[in-house]
Amino acid sequence: MKKPVGIIGVLLSLWFSLALAAPTPAGTSIQNQASATYVDSAGQPRSTTSNLVVTVVQQVYSFTITPNGANEASPGQTRSGLPGSQVLFNYQVTNTGNGTDTINLATVQGTADNFDLTGVQIFLDANCNGNLDAGETTPITGVTLNMGNSACLIVRATLPTSATNGQYGNLNLTGTSVGNPNVKDNDNWARATATTAAALTAFKSASPSGNVTPGSTITYTVSGANTGGGAAYGVSVTGLSGTGILVADTIPSGLSVSSMPTGSAGAGTVSFVYSTDGSSWSPLGSSNLPLTGNGTVAIGLFISGSGAFFPQGASYTFSFGATVPTGAASGTLYTNSATVRFNDGTAPQTVTTNSTTNTVGAGYNVAVGPYGFPTAGASGTYTALGYTVTRSGDAQSIASVYDGTTVIFRHTLRNTGNAADSFTLGFSGAPTGWSCGLVADDLTTPISGPVGPVAAGADYNFALKCQVPAGATGNSFTLTVTATSVGDPGKTDPTTDTVTALADGFRLDLYGGVNGYGPYTQSQTQNGTNYTSDDLSTSRPPIYQNGTVYPSANPGAQVVYRLRVKNLNPSGQADNYTLLVQPGSGYAAAVDSLLFYPDANDDGLPDGPPISSTGLLGANGEFKYLAVVTLKNTAPPGPAGFSFAAQSSQSGAEPKDFAPTQINVNTLAQVSLIPDRSGTVTSPGTIQYTHTLTNSSNTGATCTVSGNGGSYGWTYQYSLDGTTWAPSLIGISLTPNGGNQTIYVRVLVPAGEPIGRTDVNTLTASCDVGSTSASATASETTTVVGGDLRLSKSAVSYVGTSATVRSSDGSQAYPGDTLVYTVLAENIGTADLKAVKVADPLPGYTGFVSVSATATGFPAGATVLYSTDGTTWSTAAPTSLPAGGTVYVGVNTNGDGTIDGNDVMPPGAKITLTFKVQVQ
Amino acid sequence: MNEILVWGSKSRERTWRPAIIGLALGLLIPALAQGAEVVKLTLNSVLVVQESKNGQVSEAFQPALAVKPGEILEWRLEAENATDRPLRQVALVIPIPKETAYLEGSAPALPWGGVRILPQFSYDGGKTYGLPPLKRRVRSVENGQEVEREVEVRPAEYTHARWLLPELGPKAKVLLKLRTTVR
Repeated sequence: MKKPVGIIGVLLSLWFSLALAAPTPAGTSIQNQASATYVDSAGQPRSTTSNLVVTVVQQVYSFTITPNGANEASPGQTRSGLPGSQVLFNYQVTNTGNGTDTINLATVQGTADNFDLTGVQIFLDANCNGNLDAGETTPITGVTLNMGNSACLIVRATLPTSATNGQYGNLNLTGTSVGNPNVKDNDNWARATATTAAALTAFKSASPSGNVTPGSTITYTVSGANTGGGAAYGVSVTGLSGTGILVADTIPSGLSVSSMPTGSAGAGTVSFVYSTDGSSWSPLGSSNLPLTGNGTVAIGLFISGSGAFFPQGASYTFSFGATVPTGAASGTLYTNSATVRFNDGTAPQTVTTNSTTNTVGAGYNVAVGPYGFPTAGASGTYTALGYTVTRSGDAQSIASVYDGTTVIFRHTLRNTGNAADSFTLGFSGAPTGWSCGLVADDLTTPISGPVGPVAAGADYNFALKCQVPAGATGNSFTLTVTATSVGDPGKTDPTTDTVTALADGFRLDLYGGVNGYGPYTQSQTQNGTNYTSDDLSTSRPPIYQNGTVYPSANPGAQVVYRLRVKNLNPSGQADNYTLLVQPGSGYAAAVDSLLFYPDANDDGLPDGPPISSTGLLGANGEFKYLAVVTLKNTAPPGPAGFSFAAQSSQSGAEPKDFAPTQINVNTLAQVSLIPDRSGTVTSPGTIQYTHTLTNSSNTGATCTVSGNGGSYGWTYQYSLDGTTWAPSLIGISLTPNGGNQTIYVRVLVPAGEPIGRTDVNTLTASCDVGSTSASATASETTTVVGGDLRLSKSAVSYVGTSATVRSSDGSQAYPGDTLVYTVLAENIGTADLKAVKVADPLPGYTGFVSVSATATGFPAGATVLYSTDGTTWSTAAPTSLPAGGTVYVGVNTNGDGTIDGNDVMPPGAKITLTFKVQVQ
Repeated sequence: MNEILVWGSKSRERTWRPAIIGLALGLLIPALAQGAEVVKLTLNSVLVVQESKNGQVSEAFQPALAVKPGEILEWRLEAENATDRPLRQVALVIPIPKETAYLEGSAPALPWGGVRILPQFSYDGGKTYGLPPLKRRVRSVENGQEVEREVEVRPAEYTHARWLLPELGPKAKVLLKLRTTVR
């Protein structure tokens, strides 16, 4: 059961402490919403919030009336006066609830006294000087106060004329809350004593009353008069000579008096005195100032005189200024009252004045300065992001900053006001292109909106963070950071941050060599800056293969360079370099492709697919890669110049670094003369062949074509157009890379050549190619036949199974290509031929596709027959043929389904056999 | 002199494919995130009243629709993992409304597995958290000298309370509490 009791104890103590602070105003909504952050199963950070809970604060009614007097026997204040005179009781009523309330006021006459006071009335003491001034003479029965506000009250009463010296009457001021009539304050008893002796009144005023600001001065005035029935006597005061009336005021703690007070009296001699212990007094001179209140230090007016020196009606006044400390917290209360000591002729008396209360209002101010020095006067250095920041006075500077880097100026703000406050931070003067922002002291979290609240006197650290753009140049950039109080936007303070100079933060070096010819350091910098991107000259040492010799390669070949890019950024930043080539003379004609490949292990072989950049490379990192240059098959002989280059992707302003080189393309001399031809001819007779002369060199060729004339004296003639014939051909000009010319060959066979004679003519093309030469040969094999049947065969190759012609003479074919052979058998005689069978074998390395035949010039009713063995015939073409097989075609003219001597081929008749095969 | 960027057709393919996949994922993730709430938070407040019967004091709870300065509010946060998967690094935060003050010692530790998770507190609006006592550095001028002192932050100045759970299991539910006094 201890726990609940403990909680109640906590509650009571809390209520007590909270009662000192302003309670939450009635009607305020207390809103609350919980939140959660977490990482979900997919590893994603997430957040969520709860429902909003709203609670409304209700009004509580509470007030106080002071000074307290618990009962008639112990009044909180006592006033003396002649019978029939008026006395003034001073009270203060304060609304300590959380809303506006009206406090009804009333007075109660005492019963344990000698008489009732008459003419009791309550007044509002608007200026709180304790006295009833003109304009304050309307009696009141209640006072309405806003939350936290106070009012000074005066209760005026008249002593009955019948009262005798020493008799007294008691009076209680009671208050009742209108909002909650159960809330009352009834312990404010006061006493008025009738006296025929001297009686001094004492009133205290403070100017200004109410709120004061730190650093301001409160002028306290104590005044009064002898309103009693006789002259007043002085009293002896410790430390002072003679007797006198002492007006003493304990200086409120914290306030300081720094100038001499003023005062006067209607009788006696006035002097100013002070006490450090509250009991022993000394004359006050300006050398004793300032006096700072600590609870016992007091200042006073001493009206000295002997005997009954202060007559009825004589008055006095005493005034001094007390200064509020500049650091006084908002809400600090300065309560003050004074006492007057005198002798009424029978005994020493002490009269206490009313209390004045001044409250320190909120004063807002701000100071912002270099890190750790919010109020300027800074010195020393600190390091942020690698830069040394120098503090001096109210300014900070960094001597030199590399472009492309980030700078941080840290700052400290101080709430130099006397109340918690928030502050708006801003900056100005950021150069164009700089990306600046304010961040919290973690140097990361951006600041948005005002910062705070920051307690009075407390510091808040933050920083200005600027990304200096790559490529920026110049000197002396100053930004101004400003902090402005939210409580008083007129209070603002600047501080400055300066970057004195910008330096080039980027540098890279490109170098390397030809694969296999290390070390790969050609065009590398020797002193750290030459031959780098910071070297603004337009020349660099070239990359040679060996000595000063550039690599050479044939058309279609590859040249591999082993290259390196090194990050030499003085700023220490990582960078990603774009890999480039700058074409030079001869490059476009010669180079088919130039691809870069990573080669981290430096073995000269690509580590992966082609790249176009290095990827992020740390400071002083070296990236190894290959440049594979593939020459075109048609690359002309001679130099192909170009430069490798690399460029920073972080700074577009940083020049590229480059390394020039060159590939010397070799001359390639290559001509062809195809195909070899064969045919049959009668004697006498003529036959014509064609060949194609092709220049496959990478430069032009000039050729001569001639034949050896065979072995039997036949006549061989040559032509470029099939019309104009010559014994040989000269000056045939062929363009490079496939320039070609058809060469026509005509064979004139004389009469009388034996059947079966075969003559072979070897044709030679001799070509000048650049500074070298090339030659090619082809042959025509011609056989003399006796009959009148002439056979000729031609071929066409097609790309794959498409209709695209690969080679019109069937000279080129690739695996998978289709070859179509056409065999034309023609009766060139004047008589019928019998049992004509045209045979064509399946060529090696080919597969049968189809065969078909047509016949013209035969008698009506003739049919084409097919055979695969020459004896069994069919009208249907075969659909397959084994390797090494032969297809036969004949024309059946007698309708017996076979080819024999009864089948005739008339003069002029033709059989065309079309044989389609596929290259394996 | 012209510059050409060397960019093989193969490398172009390899460059584009991840970019397209990235785009597709980028469209998918928001769609997933818009699904049901993963952590369900329910916050309640109740008014704590003392009841005295036969000299024995006990506590009772009432709805806290309206309160008065000095009264005690208990904040109850129920957090539930609504998924079938465990969630990690779950930080549960109950802010302390500025109209109220944290009642020292009123936020119990959360039993979690074999350990107890102690609440952490913030006095700077939830920027930083720590275990009590929290300290703050204050600079002031004393006898003409600027001095920096470390002062303890009063619990009444706390702005947030936080419990850090290493993991919240599937469908698991926790209840967190703290009390504040209406200022």
